[in-house]
Amino acid sequence: MTTGQLPERHAIGAAMKRKEDPRFIRGKGRYLDDIVLPNMLFLALVHSPYPHAKITKIDKTAALALPGVKAVITGEDLVAAKLGWLPTFHGFDNQMVLAIGKALFQYQEVAGVVATSREIAADGAELVDVQYEPLDPVVDPYQSKLDKIILRDDREQKTNHIYHWQVGEREKTDAALAASDVTIKERILSPRCHPAPLEPCGCVSDMNGATGRLTVYMTSQAPHVHRTAFSLVTGIPEDKIHVISPDVGGGFGNKVPVYPGYVVATVASVILGVPVKWVENRTENLTTTGFARDYHMDVEIGATKAGKVTALKVSTTADHGAFDAAADPRKYPAGMFGIVTGSYDFPTAFAEVDAYFTNKAPGGIAYRCSFRVTEAAYAIERAMDILADKLGLDPVQLRMQNFVKKEQFPYHSPLGFTYDSGDYAATTKKALDIIGYDALLKEQAEKRKRGEFMGIGVSTFTEIVGAGPGKHFDILGIKMFDSAEIRIHPTGSGIVRAGTRHQGQGHETTWAQIVAEELGLDPQELLVEEGDTDTAPYGLGTYASRSTPVAGGALALAARKIREKARKIAAHLLEASEDDVEWKDYKFNLKGVPGKTVTMKEVAFAAYTNPAPDTEPGLEATYYYDPPNLTFPNGTYIAVVDVDKDTGSVKVRRFLAVDDCGVVINPMIVEGQIHGGLTEGFAIAFMQEIKYDSGGNNLNTDFTEYLIPTALETPHWETAGTVTPSPHHPIGAKGVGESPNVGSPQAFVNAVIDALSPLGVTHIDMPLTKEKVWNAIQGAQSKK
Amino acid sequence: MNLEWTGQEQIAASKGAVWTFINDPQKVASCLPDVQSIDVRDAHNVDATVKVAVGPVRGNFKFNIELIPAASGNHMDLKISGGGFGSVVNLLAGADLSENGTTTTLDWKGSAQVNGPVATVGGRVLDAQAHKVIATTFENVKNAVSQTR
Repeated sequence: MTTGQLPERHAIGAAMKRKEDPRFIRGKGRYLDDIVLPNMLFLALVHSPYPHAKITKIDKTAALALPGVKAVITGEDLVAAKLGWLPTFHGFDNQMVLAIGKALFQYQEVAGVVATSREIAADGAELVDVQYEPLDPVVDPYQSKLDKIILRDDREQKTNHIYHWQVGEREKTDAALAASDVTIKERILSPRCHPAPLEPCGCVSDMNGATGRLTVYMTSQAPHVHRTAFSLVTGIPEDKIHVISPDVGGGFGNKVPVYPGYVVATVASVILGVPVKWVENRTENLTTTGFARDYHMDVEIGATKAGKVTALKVSTTADHGAFDAAADPRKYPAGMFGIVTGSYDFPTAFAEVDAYFTNKAPGGIAYRCSFRVTEAAYAIERAMDILADKLGLDPVQLRMQNFVKKEQFPYHSPLGFTYDSGDYAATTKKALDIIGYDALLKEQAEKRKRGEFMGIGVSTFTEIVGAGPGKHFDILGIKMFDSAEIRIHPTGSGIVRAGTRHQGQGHETTWAQIVAEELGLDPQELLVEEGDTDTAPYGLGTYASRSTPVAGGALALAARKIREKARKIAAHLLEASEDDVEWKDYKFNLKGVPGKTVTMKEVAFAAYTNPAPDTEPGLEATYYYDPPNLTFPNGTYIAVVDVDKDTGSVKVRRFLAVDDCGVVINPMIVEGQIHGGLTEGFAIAFMQEIKYDSGGNNLNTDFTEYLIPTALETPHWETAGTVTPSPHHPIGAKGVGESPNVGSPQAFVNAVIDALSPLGVTHIDMPLTKEKVWNAIQGAQSKK
Repeated sequence: MNLEWTGQEQIAASKGAVWTFINDPQKVASCLPDVQSIDVRDAHNVDATVKVAVGPVRGNFKFNIELIPAASGNHMDLKISGGGFGSVVNLLAGADLSENGTTTTLDWKGSAQVNGPVATVGGRVLDAQAHKVIATTFENVKNAVSQTR
C-alpha cells in the first residue's frame, strides 16, 4: 500500500505542530535541574583515577571537616545498609554502587559527598582521601579473553567471560560457506560510543520522614520500572515510592539504567531527612553512564558467482566493561542481534556473541536502537558491500537480487524472527529514482578517470523494534507491554496518560493524534501526560522505538473501548437500538437516516449529564497492550561523498533517507526524528568514539574530545517515505525514532570505501576521521 | 598513559657540589617550576605543592618527593608521586653525575605514569608539558648550583 491509497484521516497523518514546543522554545520546560526543594542538599561523587586498583583506605576526615559538608558515603557504608550492589536489568550480574575494595574502571564512583551547595560538595569530594594500589588494567576484550588477569574476583566464576549466546545453525552454515563459490570475511567493529544527551543524568531524592514516602524526581526513560527497581533494591514498599520524570533533555537509551548517583542521593536523603540533588557533569556522563556498541564482529558471507547469498555467519566479541550492565531482556543477552540477516533472504545463518569484562565503564545500552540492532545492521550492510566488491557487482544490484520479496511476508528469518511487512525493492527503487542513481554512477565513472574520489554508499536496512511481545521480552522479569488511560471530560476534551516517557519524541502531540483519530475529537483538546508513576498507568517506558508500536497500540485500543461505550450512549441519544448505530466519518450515524448523527462531544456531555440506562456514568478507559509481534521498519539510505585525497577530508554532498515506518502519525515529527537520528549516525560514522589508552585512561571525556556535530558540519538531509502498514499493529504504525541512527552509519562508510575502492581499500573502521581516511589513502598508494 | 624523556645539563660546578645540592630535599623541591609551598619531612622526603595547568585542568597538585641516593655518589633517583582534581601522577627520575674537569655533566631520564583527567584532557599536550616541567627542574638545579658556588 502506498500513501495515495490510504483513507483520508481525521488526525493521523497531519503535520500538526508539536504541542510541547511552545514551552520548550520559550525556555519554560521543567527539567530535573530546575527542581529546587526547601532544605535541599547536593551530592558530588568521588571518582577513581585508576582503571583497576585496590582501594586500601578511604579517609573522610578532611571532607567532613569542611564547613557545609553534611555526610560522606562510601561503598562500605552502602554494604552496611545492604545497598552495596545493584542487580543489573537482566539480572545476570550485580553492579557495585560505589567501589568496594577495588576500582574496576576509570572514573568509577568511589564515594559521595553531600553538602549545602554544589560547590561545597565538589570541594568536599576533592578532600576525600582515597589510597589506591594500582593493578594492571585490561582494556582489550581480546586480552580479557585470555583470563590472565581476572577482573571480577567477587564472582564465583573465575573468568572474564560473561556469556556465550548463539542462534541459527552452525554446522549447516559452515557447510554452506564451504560449498559457496565466493566467500568474504571481515572483522567489523562497531566502536564504543556514547549517546551524550544534552541534559546529563540526575535526580532529586526526597524522603519525607513524616509520611515515610520517597519521591524521586529523575531523568528517567522508564519511571515505572525505576519505581519497581527502587522498591526491590531498598525494600521500601512500592506504594511509598513516587517517581517523577520531568521534562527530559534527550535520552537515547542513556537514561534507562539505574546509576550510582540515584542510589547514593536516595540513601543520603533517607539518612539526612532532607531532599538531595545529584546532577552529573558532562565528564561524569561520558565516563560513567551507559556507553553503546563496542561489538567486534567477524562477518562471513557465502554467495554464488552470480551473487545469490548462500549463508551468513557472524561471531562477535563484545566488550561489556566492568559490569554486565547492558540493558537487554533476559532471554536475549545479545538483544535482537539475530536481525543481522537484515533485508536479505539467507537460506541459512548462524550468529554468536561472547561477552567479556574489561576495565572500562559498564553499559552496552541500546543507543537509539533496539538492543544491538545498530551493530547488526552495520555488520550486514558493510559486509554486503564487501561481497559486492569481491563479486564485481554493483552493491545495489547485489541487494536487489537478495532482498526478501514482498510476497514472502510474513517472512521467517533463519535466525528466528518473523518480519511483519515490507517492500524493500519498492523502497529502494524510490530512493534510486530520487537520488538519480544512474546519473551519479556516470558522474563517478568520469571522476575516476580524472583521479577524483567520489563515493556512493547504500544501506538497505531492516530494523526490529517495539519490544515487545511479553512472551519474549522483559525487564527485571516484567513483561514488556505498555499502557494507556484516556479520560474524556464532559465538554469533550480529555486527558491521555501512557506508561511511556518522551524525551523529545513528541508524544504530547502524536498520542493526542491517535486518540483524536479514534474518537473524532480535536487533538488540540487532548492533554497528554507521562512520567508520573502516581498518575500514569504502569508501562515499561520509552526506548528501543517501542512507544508507538506498544503504547501507541494501547492508546488506539483504549480509545476503541471508549468508542464502544460511546455507541451505547449515542444509541440512547438517537433513541435507537445500538445495532442501528454505526461509527462513520468520525461520528455516530443512525443507519439509513442521513443527517441523523451524534458527535463524540455530544456523547461525552451525555456521559455525565444524561447517561444511557444501565451504563456507568463517565467516559474513560484503560488498556494494557501486549503486542503479538515486533515491528520491522526499514529503509533505503544513500550517501554521496567526495573525498579529498590530499587531506582525507570527506564531504557528504547528498544524503537521502527513504523510510518505511508503516503508517505515519505526524509526518513533521517523523521528519524531525529522521533529521536528528541521521545527525547522530553522521557523528558516529565520522567523529565519535570513546577510546581508552593502553593504561585504561578514557580519552574522550568531554565535548572537546567527544565531538557533537553542529549545523556547520551537518550535511543537508533529504527525506522521503513509503508506507507498508504493520499488519498486526492497531493503527499499522511501526515506529521510526531509531531507523535513522540504525540505518545511516553504514551508508556513510560504504560511500567513503566506494570512493577509495579504486585504491583497493575494502574496509576502514569507524569513526572515519580525516586521519584514518588519509592513512588509508597513503597506505594504499604506497602499496601500489 | 606512560611517558618517557631524557636530557642533559652541563653544570659549572664540581661533582661534589652538585651531589650535595641534590641531596638536599628543600633545595631540590624549590627547583620545581611553579612551586607554591615546600614541607620537608625528613632527610629524604619533602612535600611540595605545585601549580599545574594542563588544558582545562588548572590548580594546585600535591606531590611527595623522595630522594634515593646511590651509595656510589654518582646516581640519584627521585620518586615524585601525587596529584589533584582526581588525577594521579607517578614520576620516576634518575640523574647520573660525571665530572669533566671544572664542570659536571648531569644526565637525566624521567618516566611518568599519569591517570585521571590530566591524562585525558591533556592527552595531546601532556607529553610536551611534562617534559618541560622535568627539563626545567634540572635546568633550575643547574642554575641554582652555579649560583651557590
